[in-house]
Amino acid sequence: MTTTDIPAPAPGMARPAPAPKRRPRRERQGAAWVFLSPWVLGAIVLTLLPMAVSLYLSFTDYDLFNPPHWVGLRNYVQMFTEDPRYWRSVLTTLTYVVIAVPLQLALALVVALALKNMRRGKGFYRSAFYAPSLLGASMSVALVWRALFNDGGTVDHLLGNGGWINKPGWSLLAVALLTVWQFGAPMVIFLAGLQQIPGELYEAAAVDGAGKWRQFVSVTVPMLSPVLFFNLVLQTIQAFQVFTPAFAVSAGKGGPADSTLVYTLYLYDRGFVASHMGYASAMAWVLLVVIGAVTAVLFRTSRSWVFYASEGDR
Amino acid sequence: MTTMTTAAARRPVRWGRLAVHLGCLAALLVMLYPLAWLLATSLKPANEVIASLNLLPGHLEWSNYKTAFEGVNDVSIWRLLGNSLLIAGGAVVGNVISCSLAAYAFARLRFTMRGPLFAFMIATIMLPHHAVLIPQYIIFNKLGLVNTYWPLILPKFLATEAFFVFLIVQFMRGLPRELEEAARIDGCGPFRSFYKVILPLTRPALITTAIFTFIWTWNDFFTQLIYLFDPDKFTLTLALRSFVDASSQSAFGPMFAMSVIALLPIVLFFLAFQRFLVEGMASSGLKG
Amino acid sequence: MPGHRTKGFRASAAALALCAVMAGCGGSGESTGGGKVVLRYTWWGNPDRAARTEQAVALFEKQHPNVRVQTSFSGYDAYKQKLAIQATGGDAPDVMQLDYRQIDQYASGHVLLDLGKVKDTLRTDEIDAGLLATGRVNGRQYAVPQGRGTETVVYDVKAWKAAGVPHPAKGWTWSQWADDMRELARRTGRPGATDPGQSEDAFEVWLRGRGKALYTKDRQLGFTADDLTEWWTFTDRLRREGAVSPAEQTTQLDGSVENTPLGRGKATADFNWDAPSSGYLALVPTGVALAPMPSGEDGTPGQYFKPSMFLGIGAHTGHPEEAAALVDFLLNDSGAAKILGATRGIPVNEKIRTGTASQLKDFDKTVSDFQTSLEGSLKDPPQAPPSGDNALQTTFQRDYDQVSYQRMSPREAARNYVTEAKAELRS
Repeated sequence: MTTTDIPAPAPGMARPAPAPKRRPRRERQGAAWVFLSPWVLGAIVLTLLPMAVSLYLSFTDYDLFNPPHWVGLRNYVQMFTEDPRYWRSVLTTLTYVVIAVPLQLALALVVALALKNMRRGKGFYRSAFYAPSLLGASMSVALVWRALFNDGGTVDHLLGNGGWINKPGWSLLAVALLTVWQFGAPMVIFLAGLQQIPGELYEAAAVDGAGKWRQFVSVTVPMLSPVLFFNLVLQTIQAFQVFTPAFAVSAGKGGPADSTLVYTLYLYDRGFVASHMGYASAMAWVLLVVIGAVTAVLFRTSRSWVFYASEGDR
Repeated sequence: MTTMTTAAARRPVRWGRLAVHLGCLAALLVMLYPLAWLLATSLKPANEVIASLNLLPGHLEWSNYKTAFEGVNDVSIWRLLGNSLLIAGGAVVGNVISCSLAAYAFARLRFTMRGPLFAFMIATIMLPHHAVLIPQYIIFNKLGLVNTYWPLILPKFLATEAFFVFLIVQFMRGLPRELEEAARIDGCGPFRSFYKVILPLTRPALITTAIFTFIWTWNDFFTQLIYLFDPDKFTLTLALRSFVDASSQSAFGPMFAMSVIALLPIVLFFLAFQRFLVEGMASSGLKG
Repeated sequence: MPGHRTKGFRASAAALALCAVMAGCGGSGESTGGGKVVLRYTWWGNPDRAARTEQAVALFEKQHPNVRVQTSFSGYDAYKQKLAIQATGGDAPDVMQLDYRQIDQYASGHVLLDLGKVKDTLRTDEIDAGLLATGRVNGRQYAVPQGRGTETVVYDVKAWKAAGVPHPAKGWTWSQWADDMRELARRTGRPGATDPGQSEDAFEVWLRGRGKALYTKDRQLGFTADDLTEWWTFTDRLRREGAVSPAEQTTQLDGSVENTPLGRGKATADFNWDAPSSGYLALVPTGVALAPMPSGEDGTPGQYFKPSMFLGIGAHTGHPEEAAALVDFLLNDSGAAKILGATRGIPVNEKIRTGTASQLKDFDKTVSDFQTSLEGSLKDPPQAPPSGDNALQTTFQRDYDQVSYQRMSPREAARNYVTEAKAELRS
């Protein structure tokens, strides 16, 4: 449940390293499996087996106490056709993704661009902007956030509208801001990506008479697109699974009026609060499939807008 | 931007630079406000906590910290700190060992199913944690390991945090292959070249792994909540939560004092290792 | 080559050994306490309850030198979660504090020991039969009530006096209550009370006042969407008039008195259980008093003596006799009673209740007097609610949120609730 910001890695991640050209020898195979053995054990016992179990549970009625009781597709049917709160949580999650991800990435990009050519203080700013990404997932910051956006908190004092967390129209924004606050992780990646763009490209563009904006559009954006792409994929996936900020801001309830009841929070509520582990497992599997689908779509479409220098010929 | 060298162009650039600095500073103030607020509130007397925008406390209420240091549920804060450190330390050792082993195989060795297994490993980075949470609990419970630190540490020794495997793979891929070739000619097998040649060179990625593991484990709340229930096994995060449960708004000051104490190790870690954190992470992500 | 391989294996063996050492430090496991029987006893509560419980447990250990009791407590929400997870795999504590809403689920899930098996050690004859029956599921006693509580209208005495609203008399009705709230809002400029629309507990009292119940005997819903529509229309109107607290206030309720409108000085009355109302004393400097809950229009009382919490024994305990002795001690020992006071509600053991009533101090005495004033006039408590009620309590709140934030009409929300409740109770 740590929805910590994973620092987004870079391009080419979906492909394993180019294999050594040598013909595999028998002992090399054996050695590889020795190196892999902890991971294989973990993957089987702590990932595959639990996934299979939760798939099975999703077709059962299971309250943790009595043995699971097979109900076929009932959980899925109930989820899609009889549970308005489920659809509300889907809508809330989508709204959150649409607000938080672009805002976070835009801020990260703007700050990275600002820092790119800075001569003094770059290291300082980079570290200082990065710090919230490390602290953001902690219980301490969650408590602070709730206090800041509550009535009588700083936001209330500044805007005088009684705080955000008690207003269904605003509470999700408070959650999103906790995510946006942690823009430092993608910012650092952007900055590193920007610095790998060869200076000659800008010089060439300047010689061709391109202004700053033109340079940004025709050099920075295409050269940065792989980094942008992977930040987008990872942040989107994480945003779909957002839990801690919503849990913290709503004190675990997803309120007011379900306005912060994001998908995983509702899943947690069904599973651990209401003891419907079967239903919760079904929800988890739907989430799994949706995240898989979204990732696949992003990868498929990436060809048309992500520019890999090694493949391109501009 | 980088090629403005004529004297005429220098002036506007300097102004622009000033504007950038001012903008950054302003953004920084907003960004760091919540932390400043936390620090200030931890030193405020109860009646000033709410209802005052003023960051500076009327007088410094050190007793908030005194209360916080008394701990929670009769467990001293040193014990809680020790528990947190033990779990975080175990997780660091586990992740560094198991993830570097697996990463070496993926990055440098050849074996059947390598492609599919690598893809599977990547996929587990995106796996919603909730999908495996309940069955994992059942497994640990069957093994009689609930209410011990095993469920928090053992998975790290089994390289379940695929993100770090990936991170180290990316880094290892950037190392020149000639190194191993040379080692092989000298008669080194894969094990020896792993720990004699590759491992030392992978140090930056390992340090990054160690630091992130430490901070994430330190911050983790949910796993600790479900697996630990004796107060004397609690971590600082859990104690903070139960402190919130057991007391009320009148204990705002001590609560935030305790929050500060819980954040302190991360801040210290950050100050000590920020170069590795920021640079190591960015570059190991981008290389290869 | 073979030589290298051995070295490699040695390295991995060293790594594995290190794993074992590191993890081993963590798993300190359960000590047997030097040949003693070790009992795990868990409860929810606050530090005051903890201190008194520790004291009582120490006394028990003195009387039973062969037993060591390992205690653990946390806040209610965390406790509930933890216990649910522990209970999953037969890892429930030996002695545990339980809520009314947990009993049905835990008993039918074989988490709780049938107390009939230890009835020689655990005596229950001093407990009121009606109250004792609340711990029974399918004819077997699975839990014993530890204290009793009842709901109350707790109010700011001075504010009411200043507003000229009289002290509520026994047998006042919901419409009298509503009139008083309007009057208070007019005179004080603040809402009279917390909006009771979000509270399943308040709804139950209202429902019982009309001769109905939340649940039927066979664990189905005991009311219709029309009943709920009427209740929510009633509270919705009061809220729109400003006679009860607005949605922004109500949504901050988290079970603590500090976050109630009365506790924050934003209303002059609240609904709560009697014992926890002591918390208002620190927050309402002018003092609070307890009044009975409003009754039905024909005077039928809706409130009842509810077991405030239960004690149960884990079905898989290795030491049922010792566990039963601890439960018996907490319920029936006069020494323990003296230490515990009313921290878990007014004691259910009749002898102890009458014996300690005179020794009660401060708010404990207020609560005790309040309960005495109601004795004899209330109806029997309902049987333990079905396990789904745990989740429905939250659903109730959420559906009313939709009403109070004006996103749904009372009728729409009530229909939703009834649909959800039926699905919940089906499983």
